[in-house]
Amino acid sequence: MSTAEPSQALGPPASSVAGPRHQGADGPPAGSSVGQAGNSAAADSGPPGERTGQRASPEPSGPEPSPGALLSVRGVSKHFGPVKAVDNVSLDFYPQEVIGLIGDNGAGKSTLLSVLTGYHRADEGSFFYKGKPVSITSPRESRNKLRIEMIYQQLQLARDLTVWENMFLGEELRIFGFVSDRRSMRRRAGEVLERLNSKIRPGDILGNLSGGEQQIVAIGRAILFDRDIILMDEPTAAISAAKVEDFLQLVRDLRALGKTVILVSHRLEDILAVADAVAVLVLGKLHCVVPNQDLTVSDLVHLMFGGQAPATASGGNLAQARWQLRHGGTGGGA
Amino acid sequence: MVSAVLTREQGVSWGRLGRLLAGNPGSVRRPVAFLALAVVASTIASPSFLTLANLKALLTSSSFLMVLACGEAYVVLMGMIDLGVESMLSCAGMLAAWLVVFHGFAGWEGFLCALAFGMVVGGGVGLVVTRLRVPSFVVTLGTYWGLLGIALLFNAGNYIAPSEGSHVTFTFGGIANTTFGVSNLVFIMLGVVVVAQLALSYTPVGLWVKAVGSNEQAGKAVGLRTRDLKVMAFVISGSLAALGGVMMSAWQASIYPTSGSGMSLQAIAGVILGGIPFTGGRGTVVGAAIGALVIGVINDIIVLVGLSSNYEYIFVATVLVLAGLQARGSEFVK
Repeated sequence: MSTAEPSQALGPPASSVAGPRHQGADGPPAGSSVGQAGNSAAADSGPPGERTGQRASPEPSGPEPSPGALLSVRGVSKHFGPVKAVDNVSLDFYPQEVIGLIGDNGAGKSTLLSVLTGYHRADEGSFFYKGKPVSITSPRESRNKLRIEMIYQQLQLARDLTVWENMFLGEELRIFGFVSDRRSMRRRAGEVLERLNSKIRPGDILGNLSGGEQQIVAIGRAILFDRDIILMDEPTAAISAAKVEDFLQLVRDLRALGKTVILVSHRLEDILAVADAVAVLVLGKLHCVVPNQDLTVSDLVHLMFGGQAPATASGGNLAQARWQLRHGGTGGGA
Repeated sequence: MVSAVLTREQGVSWGRLGRLLAGNPGSVRRPVAFLALAVVASTIASPSFLTLANLKALLTSSSFLMVLACGEAYVVLMGMIDLGVESMLSCAGMLAAWLVVFHGFAGWEGFLCALAFGMVVGGGVGLVVTRLRVPSFVVTLGTYWGLLGIALLFNAGNYIAPSEGSHVTFTFGGIANTTFGVSNLVFIMLGVVVVAQLALSYTPVGLWVKAVGSNEQAGKAVGLRTRDLKVMAFVISGSLAALGGVMMSAWQASIYPTSGSGMSLQAIAGVILGGIPFTGGRGTVVGAAIGALVIGVINDIIVLVGLSSNYEYIFVATVLVLAGLQARGSEFVK
């Protein structure tokens, strides 16, 4: 499926241990606030997220981030009362890749996304951004520090405002600190829309655009503010069937721009069409991660209901899956 | 075949003509068109309408309502309503008069106290609406009665005016004097309209106000402090209503506890005439002020042609229904 390789070479996952530990010992990142000092100190001194004996997650076992990963999630859990919506999930996200996130209703997909976007705070677990421990406590932090942008199923856009106003909402360019720099915002919005090969004009009223065009505006925000990770929750639900192929091409374009795309969709054929690998959640736990090679919709349905991964998947380790994908092998070492 | 093509082209040209005259929903062209219609009709009905003296008197006597409409515009733009502005006008006017006449405050001191009172009450209303989640309709129905009740207490239900032969001045810094033959009240009103409109169009805060009115979730998703913005809208509304009260005190050289009677609904009518829908999100402050001026024109022409002022409400009702038709917007047609 994918031939786009990230710049850094990735070794077999089992053999790479030294890199991340070294990074972890660097201490808190330069720009981190006081609030994170405790978090990073804990990560330095020991394995905070490690829960020995509990190996529900087949993903990277240790508390350390994988080398080269843009964002590493380790042992993250989120409870709502007695319900474990997300249960000890560990995942790595690398630059320039599309990860499909699937699962039955209530499997924890949306909760996991809301933890990543900062709307819900994880009860347990840790996050590493470019190898450094971080916390996600607010949507603002998620957007600005981890450079994550969420594209909601019900697009969170203001119908009465123009396209450029929607794209810059909350992060307006200013003159003298309090006057909107309308001209610059309009121009830059136009540039981004051009990059996305869209005919939308920045001055159009959003409510007059089609569902697919509104989605381009939402994605335009991510490009505009140079977000690295773009989360999409049921992105094809709001657009007409005829436009789905355009959307899938847009996802490929985003990957070509170096973005990481995390795609949640019930339309498994869409996932198969663009994803590099598929992560399957079952009842809040990460069931497996499989490379998108020779997969069929029925394979995915089988996995969503707890079935075993096909032979190519080899234990559902995303790092392994990725490695296989890039090296074409089916085993752990080539 | 040919006729079908023709009708379609006619339809297009009508659409263009309509758009040229009326602009998009929320465009300021609509209230301007209303005002032009009202002025033309008034000139036909009474030649004395279009005299400089009458226009100056019209602007002066409409200035209170136009200032109220500016504050109301911010509240309605965010999808809320402020029914209490008329009682705030009376109450703040009474407060300023009471301080000056009974307690020897200087005019400007009374003025500032009234403004501060308006801000504090507006902030309180905003906090109850946003923190206690009481609908603004209910809270401001409360201030409508409550502030009227307080206004009655200042002088046991009577009006306040400087007693005959006393040295107390009642001009609050000469705000009702004339400059170049035009009442200062008109300049104050113009200043309020211009500043409120510039803030709406050319500052990020103005964009946020419209965004929250258009789609509050979208505002939250990009991290806007939507509750604080709503409180701000009520602070603006309260302080502008208080300003209107002091302006009216100075103009009449007296103030009654019921001076503002009926003006809340007139201000809301002006806002609707001005093209701001009840759901908020689009429209202009200038439009709202012009809408209020249209109501002033209706009052004026009824007096000029010698009709009983009993007819005023029927005229206002007719115009408001017409305004309601244009305020439907395009999405209902879709």
